[in-house]
Amino acid sequence: MSKLTLKFENSVLNEVAVGPKEVSIGRSPDNGLVIDNPAVSHYHARVFNEDGRLMLEDFGSLNGTFVNGQRVKMVSLKPGDSVAIGKHTIIVSDSRDAADPIWKGGMQKPAAPKINETVMLDTKERREFLQKVAAVGESSQPAPSRVKVATLVVRKGSTDKREYALSDKLTVIGKSPMATVKLKGWFAPKAAAQINRREDNSYYIGAADRVPLVNGAPAVHPTKLAAGDVIEVAGVEMKLVYPD
Amino acid sequence: MEIEFGARTDVGRARANNEDCFRAAPEINLFVLSDGMGGQSSGEVASRLASEAVIAHCCEAATNASLPIIGKRDEGVSDAANRLASAIRLANSAVRAAAQENAALSGMGATAVAVMLTNERASIAHVGDSRVYRLRNGELQQLTRDHSFVGEQVRQGLMGEEEASSSNLQNVLLRAVGADAEVQVEVNEELFAEGDTLLLCSDGLTKELSDSQIANVLAHIDDPQEAADQLVDMANAAGGGDNITVIVLRNAPRLVGAFQKIGRWFKGS
Repeated sequence: MSKLTLKFENSVLNEVAVGPKEVSIGRSPDNGLVIDNPAVSHYHARVFNEDGRLMLEDFGSLNGTFVNGQRVKMVSLKPGDSVAIGKHTIIVSDSRDAADPIWKGGMQKPAAPKINETVMLDTKERREFLQKVAAVGESSQPAPSRVKVATLVVRKGSTDKREYALSDKLTVIGKSPMATVKLKGWFAPKAAAQINRREDNSYYIGAADRVPLVNGAPAVHPTKLAAGDVIEVAGVEMKLVYPD
Repeated sequence: MEIEFGARTDVGRARANNEDCFRAAPEINLFVLSDGMGGQSSGEVASRLASEAVIAHCCEAATNASLPIIGKRDEGVSDAANRLASAIRLANSAVRAAAQENAALSGMGATAVAVMLTNERASIAHVGDSRVYRLRNGELQQLTRDHSFVGEQVRQGLMGEEEASSSNLQNVLLRAVGADAEVQVEVNEELFAEGDTLLLCSDGLTKELSDSQIANVLAHIDDPQEAADQLVDMANAAGGGDNITVIVLRNAPRLVGAFQKIGRWFKGS
């Protein structure tokens, strides 16, 4: 059986199960799930079971019903879906007891709440979710094939080259054999600092043996780099640029 | 480089079986952790199959350099990292094949996180919400991003950290080994400098302990096996709601580090 959990910000306001009878949602007190807010229509939407599927229908409400960020008229719901009505959220979950193969633990732990078990979104859900996040600038997909690679230009200090393209995911600044930006000098640290290129093609600098300065401020924690940033570490000063 | 390691897996206090699994091939500095999911006991099968497939592929590559890489090569990372990604793609096929052969295993899947150390480079490949952390100078940093619904919401700015940690959608994964015909493996490389500690763990640890609790254990217990035991014991004491698995890797500091520190004093930096 499916369950609807009504939330406002972090607090849970109500929970209703969707059985054979539909659950209507709206501002009027005779709804199965009442949301007392002017942004919500008196009879806003309904959730019901049909052919073994959980359906949501918006009654042509003024402010709309959104499932996982998308405005919907009639849609089938799955556990994990997030339904937004005004500033309220309704979380769909599955309260059935039988073991579903995607629930981690399955039948072994009937006493435990299902909420603690790991699930995979099925392929279709995952695709839909990834499409949705792609629309607003997705961070979990690899960057497009034409990635813009930044370059470090050395302005001061003793290094083996004057410029370094940051094409690797890890760039180490130091005297170590694995360092890309090779420091010279007796007291140069093996690994002064490191720069990581992340999957979304952003760059972060982090301290290793030294705390680097980014535009004069110590980067104690990993710090995101932007074009034009000046990095100082272990006696070397470099500028991050994006060549045309 | 001298690597010390310790590892432990525990069923926890609420589950009847342990669906976590770890495997290590210390001779090639390879460490793998996997958290299985699925009905009956298929989660156990998935995590074991995944871990062992990763180990087997990398060990084979160690003696046969021409062993093909499965999937697309990432030019931004080393051979070791590409090999790990290749191994997880192979594990994906292995888990799916087993699930197709045996109806009782249908729908099983697993997370996977694999670390290979080459000198001071840590190559990391992962799928799902098992994590890698690094402790450096007392500070704990999460090196992997969870491939989970909640993790993605936080990255998109749609959900705050606090809301995320109390969300009932915490366990919804966006990527898993065995979920699809093709698995998207995230690959990263990190510096594993002298004195650094790496922690691989399943979510059973991080659901029970805070970052500062974890950092405290790793910073104060030198022996990696003792640290691993302590982390598991603390997670159990905090409730042990899920299976708990940890691998602790330490790049033991050597004398040369001390000389460099003296050098730093002279330089005044």
